[in-house]
Amino acid sequence: MGIAEVEFEAVREVEIGGSDRLRQLNDDISDAIDRAYHALVQITNSERSIGAGTIWHSEGLILTNAHVIHDETPNITLNDGRKFPAQVLYYNAELDLAALSIEASGLPTIEPGDSKHLKPGQWVMALGHPWGVRNAVSGGIVIGMGAEMPDIPFSSREWVVVSLHMRPGHSGGPLIDTAGRLIGINTMISGPDVGVAIPVHVVKKFLKDSMA
Amino acid sequence: MTVLNELSNAMAAAVENVGASLVRVEGRKRMSATGVVWNSDGVIVTASHVVTRDEELHIGLPNGETVSATLVGRDPTTDVAVLRSNAKNLSVPNWTGGDSLKVGHLVLALGRPGQNVLATLGVISSIAEEWHTPAGGKIDYYLQTDVTMYPGFSGGPLVGVGGEIYGINSSTLLRGVSVTIPTTTIAPIVDTLLKHGKLRRGYLGVGSQPVRLPATLEQQLGQETGLLLVAVEPNSPAEKGGLMLGDVIVALDGHPVRVPDELLAGLTGDKVGKDAKIKLVRGGQIHEVTVTVGERQ
Repeated sequence: MGIAEVEFEAVREVEIGGSDRLRQLNDDISDAIDRAYHALVQITNSERSIGAGTIWHSEGLILTNAHVIHDETPNITLNDGRKFPAQVLYYNAELDLAALSIEASGLPTIEPGDSKHLKPGQWVMALGHPWGVRNAVSGGIVIGMGAEMPDIPFSSREWVVVSLHMRPGHSGGPLIDTAGRLIGINTMISGPDVGVAIPVHVVKKFLKDSMA
Repeated sequence: MTVLNELSNAMAAAVENVGASLVRVEGRKRMSATGVVWNSDGVIVTASHVVTRDEELHIGLPNGETVSATLVGRDPTTDVAVLRSNAKNLSVPNWTGGDSLKVGHLVLALGRPGQNVLATLGVISSIAEEWHTPAGGKIDYYLQTDVTMYPGFSGGPLVGVGGEIYGINSSTLLRGVSVTIPTTTIAPIVDTLLKHGKLRRGYLGVGSQPVRLPATLEQQLGQETGLLLVAVEPNSPAEKGGLMLGDVIVALDGHPVRVPDELLAGLTGDKVGKDAKIKLVRGGQIHEVTVTVGERQ
């Protein structure tokens, strides 16, 4: 028994030694998620549909997809469990974007990333509540981006298309890069393994135009 | 830099580097597909099924230019087609064999169905022995991945994280899975197509259908069926070699022949003009005859 244990430990040490960089990779992934996680909210309507949202501003401004909003006063659940009724500030069905406000301050936000210089092949993660499973993460890479993506509906608009599992309930949640920065708002799927997001620079323009 | 960042940057760099060798192939009515530069003479390798016409072919270059291309030849059995264009200074990628590949390795599938290069990520799912496609093409080794074949990715490369190309992806050779035609299978096909414009195929001149063998022969030969000859063309290699109507072919050069595909797959181009040993059942007895294989026109 004693000998067997010693042998087992020896083998284990070798295996762990060999996977240091993979463990570091896992730590890096969770670090990136940790930076973005608190900005992910849940949006519920009276008809039980569940979507996601992304905190844009610490004073209660929340971004989501227009198609997530079915009520005039949807309900927001923050990552810490607090619930707030929300007002719809701006709503644009064509862009599929909406901005909501809640009576709260000091909310955790997410650092905006650079969605104009994304590269096919770079690692990204989608945060949301797929099929109502709260605070879930999917990982993959950027397939491509821009306004001329083949096989994407509404192809005259700019998209970030990603190779990862996006599902109903991801809509409105953040798409993040390796540093946990916001590069897009998860919006739709195009096939089981292809997710489509609105790049964050389009979101910025939507807010700027709405406020003007 | 974090390890995650390093991985992410390495994948993006591989896409960018190999992307310089990818072209858009406009050879069918619906969506364009992808081709990969084979050499600096403007030779492009793509999937045969994405080139549905033989003329009025165009390729879209990485710099945005569109130029015309001609069909050098194709091998539908392995889903490989070779095009030639006048484009100069194309970047030749690092085509490589798959000796270092292992199940679980990260790989990228790349495509250029539009203006820009696109990428999906996956892992090697299976590496196995030589196989024959349903159309009778011989593939050096089975290579299956779980990469998403984005529309227009057929004809595009399977790329390692270091930017090396292991082969061409096809979404139609087998339904429901992404298989890759290895570089080692593509190379001799491209050479033959460049030399002859077509692949040579062996020819016997028989019509056949599979039949069940009697129980004793089934046991003796270790196979349930053979090919009953229902037609033997006059003056064909088969007739000259002594094959007759009613013979049941059971093996070609030592390989069992149970269904017509196995006979077709066995009549490879290298057998043309050479003697093949055909084992057959005639009058309940096993015979062997020698046939000089002709060339299919």
